Amino acid sequence: MPHSIITLMLIALLAPLVSSTVCILATRRLLFKGAGYLTTAVMAGALACSIIALFTWLGTPVDQRHALVLNIPWIPLPGFGPGHALYLGILADPLTMAMMPMVTGISTLVHIYSIGYMHGDKRYNLFFAYLSLFTFSMLGIVLANSVIMLFVFWELVGLTSYLLIGFWFEKRGPQLACKKAFVMNRIGDAGFLVGFGILFYKLGGAMLLPATADSGSMFNVLANVLAAEGHSLANPPLWLTVAGIGLFFGAIGKSAQFPLHTWLPDAMEGPTPVSSIVHSATMVAAGVYLTGRIYPILTPGAHLFISTIGLVTLVMAAFMAMVMTDIKRVLAYSTLSQLGYMVLGMGVGAWTFALFHLITHAFFKCCLFQCSGSVIHAAHHQQDMRHYGGLGKKMPITMACYAICTLAIAGASIPFTTIAMSGFFSKDGIIAGSISYGDVMAHAGYLGKLFWLGPIVIAYVTPFYMGRSFALTFLGKPRDQHLHDHAHEAPLAMWFPQVCLAIMAIASGYLGWKTLILGSEAPMLAQGVAAIIPGEVIEAHHSHGMHMTHALLLSGFGWIIALGAGILMYVPGMAISSRIVKIPGVNLLYTWALNKFYFDALYDVFTVSMGKFVAVVCAAVDKYLVDGLVNLAGSTVREIAMLSGKVDKHIVDGGVNGVAAMAQGAGDMLRSTQPGKIRIYVLMFFSSAALVTLLVVISAIALR
Amino acid sequence: MPTLLNLMIFTPLIGALLCLVAPSKQAAKSIALVVSVVTLAMSLVLAAQYDYHAGGVQFESAMMWIKGINVEYRTGMDGLSLPLIVLTTALSVLVVAASWNIEKMTKAFMALYLFLYTGMLGVFLSLDMVLFYVFFEVSLLPMYFLIGIWGGPRKEYAAIKFFLYTLAGSICLLVVMLGLYHITPNAADSGGKPIWNMMTLQSDSVHALFAKGGTYWVFAQWAFWLTLVAFLIKLPAVPFHTWLPDAHVEAPTPISMILAGVLLKMGGYAMMRITWPFFPDSARLFWVCVATLGVIAIIYGALCAMAQSDWKKLVAYSSVSHMGYVTLGLAVLTRTGFDGAYFQMIAHGITSAMMFFMVGVVYERAHHREIDRLGGIWLKWPGYGGWSLLCFFAGMGLPGLCGFIGEIMVLLGTFEAVGHGAGHTTIVYTLGVLAAFGVVLTAGYILWMFQRVYMGLPKPDYDHYEPVNTREYAIMTVLGVLALVFGIVPMIVFHATGVTFNHLFAMLAVQ
Repeated sequence: MPHSIITLMLIALLAPLVSSTVCILATRRLLFKGAGYLTTAVMAGALACSIIALFTWLGTPVDQRHALVLNIPWIPLPGFGPGHALYLGILADPLTMAMMPMVTGISTLVHIYSIGYMHGDKRYNLFFAYLSLFTFSMLGIVLANSVIMLFVFWELVGLTSYLLIGFWFEKRGPQLACKKAFVMNRIGDAGFLVGFGILFYKLGGAMLLPATADSGSMFNVLANVLAAEGHSLANPPLWLTVAGIGLFFGAIGKSAQFPLHTWLPDAMEGPTPVSSIVHSATMVAAGVYLTGRIYPILTPGAHLFISTIGLVTLVMAAFMAMVMTDIKRVLAYSTLSQLGYMVLGMGVGAWTFALFHLITHAFFKCCLFQCSGSVIHAAHHQQDMRHYGGLGKKMPITMACYAICTLAIAGASIPFTTIAMSGFFSKDGIIAGSISYGDVMAHAGYLGKLFWLGPIVIAYVTPFYMGRSFALTFLGKPRDQHLHDHAHEAPLAMWFPQVCLAIMAIASGYLGWKTLILGSEAPMLAQGVAAIIPGEVIEAHHSHGMHMTHALLLSGFGWIIALGAGILMYVPGMAISSRIVKIPGVNLLYTWALNKFYFDALYDVFTVSMGKFVAVVCAAVDKYLVDGLVNLAGSTVREIAMLSGKVDKHIVDGGVNGVAAMAQGAGDMLRSTQPGKIRIYVLMFFSSAALVTLLVVISAIALR
Repeated sequence: MPTLLNLMIFTPLIGALLCLVAPSKQAAKSIALVVSVVTLAMSLVLAAQYDYHAGGVQFESAMMWIKGINVEYRTGMDGLSLPLIVLTTALSVLVVAASWNIEKMTKAFMALYLFLYTGMLGVFLSLDMVLFYVFFEVSLLPMYFLIGIWGGPRKEYAAIKFFLYTLAGSICLLVVMLGLYHITPNAADSGGKPIWNMMTLQSDSVHALFAKGGTYWVFAQWAFWLTLVAFLIKLPAVPFHTWLPDAHVEAPTPISMILAGVLLKMGGYAMMRITWPFFPDSARLFWVCVATLGVIAIIYGALCAMAQSDWKKLVAYSSVSHMGYVTLGLAVLTRTGFDGAYFQMIAHGITSAMMFFMVGVVYERAHHREIDRLGGIWLKWPGYGGWSLLCFFAGMGLPGLCGFIGEIMVLLGTFEAVGHGAGHTTIVYTLGVLAAFGVVLTAGYILWMFQRVYMGLPKPDYDHYEPVNTREYAIMTVLGVLALVFGIVPMIVFHATGVTFNHLFAMLAVQ
């Protein structure tokens, strides 16, 4: 196994950091418009490194494919014995190999797209610096060799997304959106830290991720710890479930799962290239990736928690996507829903398919956002689909790309063949996994059947809302003639990446199917996972084949029906739907979904307002109670002093009045030394200090 | 080398006297700058000469001072003091640079500052209890004048409050010293004389007196709390913290920098030098109480910071919150927590000094610190905005910047304390969860402030503000680079402390 892979990975990781630093430090005059080209070229280099690494990997015989690890001690932990430490470094295993080309590839295309989209922005250089830094942070997560490194880059993704979402910070919307994104993520991170802390203690500081037979791996240490406690993963101790759920909380924040999902739609306030990368290859992908990485520690309880969160997000977001009229918001809720699929997949044990869906989704969702960006660009920043209509004639390339990706997200396939779009391959695997998990959970009552029902229903809803947005935007008659007259196809820098992504949206499914699923399906990871995976989830894997057929039968035709319905219903605009939403019952659901199920309002009241209220109370306590006591103590002492002063003056001093007369004379003399000037006080302070020092020295010598 | 160490302590004092007789303001500034650069060089020479593999006290020198009560002039440097000394000397150069535009009684200002400088170095380097006390007090007076004369509108109140608060702490310490004076002659190898050598006071023979169930166990418990209160005031920890916001708000920028950057660290340092190692059994008995104080400080400080409308007061309360991690990390009696607490002090020394400097740059031009009246600073001065971003995110504990290491280690160390067992499991988990939740509050108040001060469009009254000058950029660049370096290579600090802490922590570990 050539170690050049590690070197290639290091270059791919650090190159964007270097180019980003150059763009930040070099002034605008120095770089002029070079920032875009420089960072794009560097990112393309990183892509080349990843692809070379992938082929080097694929070129090695299967039995020689060991995970490559580079560990660099970062924070020493002498408390656990000499030599123990928290490590930074690089882990190159099949999962990393599959993720790297996807992340760098999409980032390169987004860089190219931004050259067109950000043209003329006054902080053009800085945008590319942030974008590259963002990619660097994501690559750090993908390459992380330990939980601490994961967390380090996890937070850097948080910072860079803050900068990118708030890129136009002159306006109020982006200000609030970037703050919300960061704080929401930090809530998830607090959970992550709790999980991290518990594992840190229980595993004695061993936080390395490689799932190999390496003795330093946290999974091996965990197996030993569990064995020593008389537990196993199937019969786990409570702390392990809590730790797993805690770490997953980080994923809830980053992957915008229920109930921390509200930041993602708001993050639309950032420039559209940012949306396209945040919603595909970075940030939201990080949560699913994290869950995949920590998979071997997840207990059945944690699995149930994760799949429930995934299911709720999946269903809820899909309904919201059906009613939104802002094109970017439709796509944002669609991302939430698709992330729900991935998280559900993780929860139900369809590990490979969840990560596969992460990769395929990245391509078509990035493309969809870029298309929407092109449309918005052409439509003078009008984002409301009610003003579009008939744009297909004006922007044929964008329409074609959008159509392809709509088919991909809908999971289109020619039934009973393997000729299909990428979403088909990955989504049906998750649905099959969920069906078998539903079977397993059905003994817990009919609620278990929801795992069976939810993903299938949404497999019909997804094509519907995508068809809706496609029809409203590109088909039918123009609803805003002025807007339509000025619309034009996007420039080359913008349509070229769209086309590339559309091609990948078609190809990635089949290629991935061949290499990731049927081919060498990450043998080490499978082994590493199988070693401590709970029995029932393995069962889910075994029965996958049968449920795959179920999934195909139940949802395989869904895309034709639902997509058709969506397009037909919305070609004439909102006319039909506006009548439907007046039906009692439907209108209630419609209002709820339109108001995002009132989560934002709820959070405003219960967290933001209450947080501020508690803060004000604390500040008041500090000012009036704590400080009040201090001041009271001060003034009491002063009053006592005054009183004793009076006693002194009137009683004690009565007999000493005669002496006072003499003192007055002395006082007059002394007054000349105390003219009330601070300068003199300081001088006197120093002379007395010098005097004291002198006395000390003399006494020291004398007492010797 | 011992000579160089002693020379380093008193070089600023000589400089202070020179400043007083300096012919002009400019000369006084130059003297102060030269003195601080020379002192920095001295400390770097000492750091280079220090034997990191041997650890422990080095460059030690001793001279009998007050023979009757066995008090010595004893100084030396070990892994506990070395990083703090370098921090102090490095910050000192920046502080002198930051006070370059002080025009009111410059000579006196510089003289007092240098006098304070000697006090700070003395506190970190003295190894005799009485000498430590003297330096601890010596650092108090110049600070009183520096706030009281060069401060803002309520300077007298703030100065006297600072003085009385700290003095109250000193009295607690003095009481313990009186006790030590009477008790230590009973130690096995004391020769019937009181022991003031801080290293001997941590030896087994003295520990035997203060051990659980030992002859002076009750005194040891009282002494633990009395010294703790003395140093918690300095740190400061809730509920002994209210002097800090006032002192900071009134103090001029360079004095805020040194106050937050170094003076608060004297509290944490003294806990690690005195409270814990002198009375380890008491620390083991009361650790849950102390840890709770730490968590309260983290949460309460952050909430108070969130409610402030005065920018500098917000930063001051953030210090209270960040110092809570020091208390927590020390209290939990795990090596990870202990290392984390120490790192947090160094990191906070860098970030808080930088934060106060950042506030000062704007205050000097705007002449107010109302957060709601500011806004759009980032667009006005992009470079300054960039450094501010780094600075405040370092304070928030973003990985890659110095604030992260201390926070994460203290958190991990807290969870490690579950291993102490003895029925504290639930409490420790609760403390850990609350401390972890602190990161959300920190993000909340810093981002809210950042939004209101830096984002948005510049206000029209900024037009006549003079641009941020080269001197100011130089100061923030140095601090910013330090924040980055310590965040990326925390080994710098742990390399220096490692061996010393191995010995120190051996007596603190929970058996």
